[in-house]
Amino acid sequence: MEAQEVTRRNFMVRTIIGIGIFISAVLAVPFTGFGVLPALKKKDKQWSDAGTLNDLPIDAPQERRFFQIVKNGWQEEKQERSIWIVKKQDNTVVAFAPNCPHLGCGYRWSAVDQKFKCPCHGSVFDISGKVLGGPSPRSLDTLESKVDNGRVLVKYEVFQLGIGGKVAA
Amino acid sequence: MFNRILDWIDERIFIRKLWNAFADRPIPGGASWFYVLGASLAFLFLLQMASGIFLSLYYAPTPDHAYASVKFIETEAPFGSFIRGMHHWGASFMMVLVALHMLRVFVFGAYIKPREIVWLLGVGLITLVGGFAFTGYLLPWDQKAYWATVVGTNVAGTVPVVGGLLLRIVRGGSELGNLALSRFFSIHTYILPWSLALLAGLHIFLLERAGAGGTWKTSEKTSERSEPLFPNQLFRDSIFVLIVFIALAGFALLSPAPLEPQADPTDSTYNPRPEWYFYFVFQLLRIFEGKFEVVGTVILPNIAIILLVLLPFLDRSPERSPGKRTLMMSLAGLTVVSVSVLTIMGAKAPIVNAPAVTSQSVLAGRILYDKNGCGACHSIQGRGGKIAPELTHVGSKRDADWLLRHFKDPQSVSPGSIMPKVALQDNELKELTDYMLSLK
Repeated sequence: MEAQEVTRRNFMVRTIIGIGIFISAVLAVPFTGFGVLPALKKKDKQWSDAGTLNDLPIDAPQERRFFQIVKNGWQEEKQERSIWIVKKQDNTVVAFAPNCPHLGCGYRWSAVDQKFKCPCHGSVFDISGKVLGGPSPRSLDTLESKVDNGRVLVKYEVFQLGIGGKVAA
Repeated sequence: MFNRILDWIDERIFIRKLWNAFADRPIPGGASWFYVLGASLAFLFLLQMASGIFLSLYYAPTPDHAYASVKFIETEAPFGSFIRGMHHWGASFMMVLVALHMLRVFVFGAYIKPREIVWLLGVGLITLVGGFAFTGYLLPWDQKAYWATVVGTNVAGTVPVVGGLLLRIVRGGSELGNLALSRFFSIHTYILPWSLALLAGLHIFLLERAGAGGTWKTSEKTSERSEPLFPNQLFRDSIFVLIVFIALAGFALLSPAPLEPQADPTDSTYNPRPEWYFYFVFQLLRIFEGKFEVVGTVILPNIAIILLVLLPFLDRSPERSPGKRTLMMSLAGLTVVSVSVLTIMGAKAPIVNAPAVTSQSVLAGRILYDKNGCGACHSIQGRGGKIAPELTHVGSKRDADWLLRHFKDPQSVSPGSIMPKVALQDNELKELTDYMLSLK
């Protein structure tokens, strides 16, 4: 009789603990997924119109501003972006992300020196984006671009800073 | 290993003593399935807190964003529909269980001395649960949210003398807008959860002080067999909690929380209906009309609450057996029957306007029409400007293709037109077109 009481008691204790673990586990999956997964979701890259090709001078980098349609949670927003564009002799273009890969400062093109220069810590890049000096761990980040119907189209992206490789943020 | 950690903690903060104080609480007459309701309410409250906190990760409490953010939760966020479903149905479960809990305590005569204060706190808790339900359904800012709250807040306006003032305080102004939504959000997510946690804690703590009521055979003088809370009662509590949880998850999975089209204050075709648990109040308003309205809105609900508050002071007989408390049992029966009948009548109330078949897109188009000032030149059903063609029946005159081309370049289909090009995105032009096509 005594032994039976003990098993009965053990059964109840285990059931109580089991129910607690079961409910917590069942809830942990949706709660974690709900809270974490949207933060990990990479943004879809889409073509943005960065203006006409014609008024770009050849081999002289130009800063262009345009609007990118960005999905921001439940909203689609127009976000202003700026990029550097270099038009080459054969009418193709190269587009650079606007931030120095070191710590993200906005660099500019110096026409006198024919170099991109970063105002923060003195990184220097040539017209092809190659790093020539300063702390920048890599060359300027190029963006996927194409010319369509006389318009320059780019896929704007943000990259991780301060590391040797070009990795989307 | 586990025991060694426990020993380490116990040596310092005597955690086993704490556990025993909880687990050894005596249940007079032994464990019973009748006593599981309170535990299930504590569980549901914690679950509502958890799902509510997670919903707040993406919810934005402004009329501009509330609807879109709830739609994002419902359609895009992983598990969003499930979590919102749990929160939505959790409210209904809470209403049912809180009513059963109160009824159980009433039938068992557990409110008499020395548990009067516990009962009073319980009455307070029920009104808080009602407040949660009422403030919660404005938040999605859909049609139901908006219109049910318009009606619900107007109830406050029927209070004699101070009604107008009360209405403005509840709404944060004369109309439902930014201030109303943020106010309801604040009440629902800060004021009520803290109040309920505090009151529920006190409710449980004071029950512990006064001692659990046990069955009606338990009298305060005779000492009878009692049993500790753990494990027999806690086992029953856990099983019932599991059943409630599975039922709730089932509802959330199989019947997702509804989300109607975005709130449209200009829509006169909508049939406002509250959630089912407020049908009995809704039906009272239908019964007491005109100058008697105040009976349904103010007098009866207040009498009900006052009676609940006074109950342990009016019924002071130590007799607890339901068989010998005929008057009390008849009153309880009468209340249950009338609330049920009113609820069923409310559910069956005829719908005055044919249910609108307005699609999301048409509704969005109507908002674009208003925002872009189309009504300055055009008129619909007599409202608007006179210098451009009337649009009341434009849907039966033009097709989608014509309308789209016309928006992009009016001259291309209607040479000499003074209408400017409509500078909207393609999906917006589609919505505006759908709205035009709906005007027949």
